[in-house]
Amino acid sequence: MKFLLEILNKVRPHFEKDGKFKVLFPIFEMKDTFLFTPPNVTTGGTHVRDSLDLKRFMSFVIIALLPCTIFGIWNAGYQYNISNNGTVESEFPIRILFDFLSGLPIVLPIIFVSYLVGGLWEVLFAVVRKHEINEGFLVTGLIFPLTLPPTTPLWQVAVGISFGVVIGKEIFGGTGMNILNPALVGRAFLFIAYSKNMTGDVWVKLGQSNDIIQWCAKIAPKSITNLAPKYFSVRPTLLPVDGYTGATPLRVIANLQDGPTAVDSLAHNGFTFMNMFIGDIPGSIGETSTLMCLIGAIILLITGVASWRIILSAIVGCTIGGLLINKFSDSAAAQLPFYYHFVMGGFAYGTFFMLTDPVSGAATNLGKLLYGFLFGFLVVVIRVFNPGYPECVMLVILFMNIVAPAIDNFVVESHIKRRRYRG
Amino acid sequence: MGNYKIKKGFDIQLSNKPTIELMDLERPSIIGVAPLEYKGIRWRLLVSENDVVKCGTPLLENKLNEAQKICAPSAGTIKKIVRGERRFIESIIIAPDHCGEVIEFTKTDLNSINSLDREFIIEQLLKSGYIAYLIQRPFSKIADISLKPKSIFVNGMNTGPFQADATVVVNDATEAFIAGLELMKKLTYGKVHLCISDNAKGAIRDVSNVDVHTFSGVHPAGNTSVHISRVEPMSPTDIIWTIKAVDLVQIGKLFLKGTLPETKIVSLGGNCVKYGEAKHYRVRVGSPISIFADKIVGNNARYISGDILSGKKLEKNDFIGFYQSSLTVIEESDKRHFMGWAMPGFTRYSYSRTFMLSLLNFVLGRKRVKNILGESITRLNTNMNGSKRAMVLTGYYDKVMPLNIMVDFLIRAILAEDTEEAIQLGILETAPEDFALCEFICPSKINIQEIIQHGLDMVEEEGI
Repeated sequence: MKFLLEILNKVRPHFEKDGKFKVLFPIFEMKDTFLFTPPNVTTGGTHVRDSLDLKRFMSFVIIALLPCTIFGIWNAGYQYNISNNGTVESEFPIRILFDFLSGLPIVLPIIFVSYLVGGLWEVLFAVVRKHEINEGFLVTGLIFPLTLPPTTPLWQVAVGISFGVVIGKEIFGGTGMNILNPALVGRAFLFIAYSKNMTGDVWVKLGQSNDIIQWCAKIAPKSITNLAPKYFSVRPTLLPVDGYTGATPLRVIANLQDGPTAVDSLAHNGFTFMNMFIGDIPGSIGETSTLMCLIGAIILLITGVASWRIILSAIVGCTIGGLLINKFSDSAAAQLPFYYHFVMGGFAYGTFFMLTDPVSGAATNLGKLLYGFLFGFLVVVIRVFNPGYPECVMLVILFMNIVAPAIDNFVVESHIKRRRYRG
Repeated sequence: MGNYKIKKGFDIQLSNKPTIELMDLERPSIIGVAPLEYKGIRWRLLVSENDVVKCGTPLLENKLNEAQKICAPSAGTIKKIVRGERRFIESIIIAPDHCGEVIEFTKTDLNSINSLDREFIIEQLLKSGYIAYLIQRPFSKIADISLKPKSIFVNGMNTGPFQADATVVVNDATEAFIAGLELMKKLTYGKVHLCISDNAKGAIRDVSNVDVHTFSGVHPAGNTSVHISRVEPMSPTDIIWTIKAVDLVQIGKLFLKGTLPETKIVSLGGNCVKYGEAKHYRVRVGSPISIFADKIVGNNARYISGDILSGKKLEKNDFIGFYQSSLTVIEESDKRHFMGWAMPGFTRYSYSRTFMLSLLNFVLGRKRVKNILGESITRLNTNMNGSKRAMVLTGYYDKVMPLNIMVDFLIRAILAEDTEEAIQLGILETAPEDFALCEFICPSKINIQEIIQHGLDMVEEEGI
């Protein structure tokens, strides 16, 4: 790695104070510290410092998001294939690879546009404000596209991330100063401004089947295509699969009439507890699989990056809310067992990756418990009693972000009061 | 009296800890006095270059209280007066004359201390300059003699890496220590509290003339703020004086012998110290740190007066300071780690569990990991390990803060210059050193101790 370091040291003067490209210093700094930790030494105060910096802290969120991302790519391809091509009878491993490859051209452009456009804003603000580029953006740039349906037009991705980064974060002063989760600000903006593209039967990419399969055949290694030529040959459109509908599980619950129980009608629509847990159902790119979110959450909890208080209390809040509603309400929707709420919609994704954002969430220990609990409780209540907008996790998180400072203030005030009466 | 266990916090693993062995060092060829380390005092120079001074001759006096002096720690000739920015006196260098004259202070013995009156003790402390060893809370400044403190806390333990071991110093001069405690009793209308480690051995354990409290657990169990908060919590209007046991020994010696003590004990430790040389040394007061030069390995080392968490950086030609009882020498390192944010990190030290080493420590336990990976695979150094970022409320700070303080919100209040809220959040019960661990683990690399100091200065300026 020595030669890399030498190149960097050689180029550095051009970007520093009197260099030709001093305006672009933030970009140089970003690349530089991406490759190597910075060479700064401590200046006083403590003479040694922990090895953890914010870059590593944030990169763990990205690592935790990877299972969701990979699964999301596969699922987008899988949904695409079953709704456009019908079932493809084939052996297990090849089929998975095939679906994954089909998902790549659906999902990757969305993630790419999100990073590109969001990154441009980030660099612009860093250059104008003369500060280093914050790595918080790397997280926003991935969390945001995973909340979108795979059908989202790319220009909307660009508009959404722009709104999220600029209005959601930069106008407050950048990372650490924002009061709302920037990814969700972008998502909420798209939801309200272009609701046609964000709700309804938008969860599965429909279209010409041939292009993607051909693309897969093109990029797949020769050895695979030779092994199984039949999977990569162009197939005529088959019959739509049974069980595919445009509605999400939450929509099913919201539309529930008296009659069959909630669990039955979910199952009738193809949503059993198990496949909502695994996540092979239509939905936004990253959120369908509770299992993958759980793997991410375990990474975040083991490394201590996310707060266990928030996650635990959100689950408790959801459980208590669900049980209370089961007990005191008679409608069919209210009879849905509480644990269904964990696997439906964006609950897991939202709780693990967005509610736990240390910047926009509650900061006090007691506050975190309250914050998580209220979130879980509100999600269940709105899902059951507001059929107009069942997928409420996004707006509840934004609402909780707004309430968080008030919760913290309450905790701090009572701390001060206790201190006063102590002696 | 009480026995307190501190659970929040942690001990940084730094190799080459000073052993309790005590060795004498030779006389140095120059001796220095550095007046800048006395916080908040402006001095008037009383001597000039080439003057001949006795041991105990006043060199400087406080411009606002002329009774307070700084005295020459050794007889000799003033060789040089070094001035820095804005003509501040940086140091006064003396060429010592080992057979020179000594100024006599009033001498007492242990039994007659009880009959001394407070004014006399204060006067002698001012005249010798040793009043500066008494630090007043709030604000951690040199004690204001016009006030009578509610109590005096003597800190007889150390948990930060590395401070001089109080038990070594007290064993060496037990009578002086007892005398010092007796003197303290005359200065307060309340109690004198001695706080020691629960596994302390030797003379310090047998002290019975004051209230003795034992503390156990992880750093910062040895910090004075922690002792005060557990034994006798402060309210904002209280005045408490504090002193370290190693400094109290010097005061005791002054009163028992009637002359300024010529030596003090300094511990030497850190990963740049030769193996086997990390121990306690008896040195002349005011010796240059270069007397340790033959015990240091590597030429890229950082010299720290005090511990690595809140000590002061020294240059190679500096002198052992008035407050200094330890010298830590660690590796200075601007080494860059390739893709530090993504590598597993088997050799990188962290409190968090985001590196393989710390994760393994967490899962398997420190001992087993040591067996597998070998003894000292981490060498703590002065690398920042990241760049400065905006403050993010990660909740890490509170995990290492045993005081009843909400660190995040206190820092925010100070940054917003809201002194009233800072007081309500308890800033007056703290000293910057209490936040050293928070600063160590801070992923945004903020200088928290500096912020707290700024907050304390602000509150002091505005008045409570």
